[in-house]
Amino acid sequence: MPFLILVPLVLVVVWVISQYNFFVSSKARIKAAVQEIGNQLKRQADLIPNLEASVKGYMKQETKVFTMLTDARKQITSAVASGDVQKMSDAGSQLAAVLPKLQIAVEDNPEIKSDTVVARLMDELRDTSDKVMYARRLVIDLTADYNVKRAVFPTNLVANMFKFEEQKGLITPDSGEHMEVSASETSSPKINL
Amino acid sequence: MQNIYEVAAANKRKSFIIMGLFVVFVTAAVYFLTQAFSLYFGYEAGGLGFVGLALIISGISSIGSYYYSDKIVLAISRARPADKKRDYHFYTVTENLALGAGLPMPKLYVIEDTAMNAFATGRNPEHAVVVATTGLLSYLSRTELEGVIAHELTHIKNYDILLMSIVTVLVGMIALLADMFLRMSYFGGSSRKKEGGGALVLIGFVFALLSPFIGQLIKLAISRRREFVADAGAVAITRQPAGLISALDKIAHDHEPLEAANKATAHLYIENPFKNKIGDARGNFASLFNTHPPVEERIKALQKMA
Repeated sequence: MPFLILVPLVLVVVWVISQYNFFVSSKARIKAAVQEIGNQLKRQADLIPNLEASVKGYMKQETKVFTMLTDARKQITSAVASGDVQKMSDAGSQLAAVLPKLQIAVEDNPEIKSDTVVARLMDELRDTSDKVMYARRLVIDLTADYNVKRAVFPTNLVANMFKFEEQKGLITPDSGEHMEVSASETSSPKINL
Repeated sequence: MQNIYEVAAANKRKSFIIMGLFVVFVTAAVYFLTQAFSLYFGYEAGGLGFVGLALIISGISSIGSYYYSDKIVLAISRARPADKKRDYHFYTVTENLALGAGLPMPKLYVIEDTAMNAFATGRNPEHAVVVATTGLLSYLSRTELEGVIAHELTHIKNYDILLMSIVTVLVGMIALLADMFLRMSYFGGSSRKKEGGGALVLIGFVFALLSPFIGQLIKLAISRRREFVADAGAVAITRQPAGLISALDKIAHDHEPLEAANKATAHLYIENPFKNKIGDARGNFASLFNTHPPVEERIKALQKMA
């Protein structure tokens, strides 16, 4: 008879342990993933001045794009120096916004476009912004998994028992330009072929 | 319009149903075959000894291929290791997606073949290998390549290679068991044959005849289901169904078979490497024997997520 009570009890304990371990390891993984964003941004900040220098000769006329690129890079460098991941992440998105403009500048100029050094620059820039994007994605996914498990039954019982707090992940500001849709953005894009 | 979480949950459910069916089938086949063995040959519980024997034989061959799958496949397909300079997009895309999926960076290899295909192998994420053909790398854009690689990484993340190895071992075991039964019954049963077990022997006989075939069909159904799971998983990593859709479209329109592929490795590829064209009426029947679902169905499933 005691066997009949013992077996479910052992199963419950094993389950609670596995859930506890999920929460603990998730927290550690989220922390590591946030640091990874910092790593990737540092890599970005190191890479861009090198690339800039190698193509500067070709792109003298594109001064506006260059100023934007330099500004974004400066922001990243100072954010990386501050060590604040949120700041780094914001600076990273600023750089991501410059890239399409740079791309257009390159596409418009066949002479530049055919140059392999510039092609390489564009590849590297895309790759580096992809890396930051995927590093952010990982933080978002891990945080979502953690927070969902923390909220749903029955895992919420374990989360409450051991007081696992909600993970914030990356904070996106609630207000600002990215939350607003301008009139021009709602109209369908015109494409001329 | 379904979101990727719903798709992933539905896929998981269907996967579990097929695998549950498989477990029931294996248990039933083993049960009836062993019962028939012991009745037919006249000794008690002797059938289980045969199960053990079949499991060991089938296991040795498959565990070998499972442990060394990466090395065997690479040797067969004559792949060369990828390097960052030469295969820039292949290398960096995998690096980025592994980062996004939270997986260690897999080893990368390239097959010099103009046919477009890619596959993943290796027993766990730490020993994973992703292989692509030069055809795939040169015809796909970076966004399309991301879709394909994310599909392969999902196979790795879901331990699909392990799953298919286990399924192969079990199907192989049943085939061996059935084969033993049929061969032995050919030589005639023991003279100590018991009375009254006729029906059970008959069931055992039917199972012996049909189960290798049914086992194979269920195995292929599992393989096809895992492709849908991997497609949905790829979208969960890249959030861009369009990339994988246009990649699948391009791969489907490439009719060149991959010379390095063989039946043993077919389920590993992103798309059926043999490129057999299927018709309508016969196609439905023939599709039961495919390791991959038709590309149109995969694209339809992906478009629902877009």
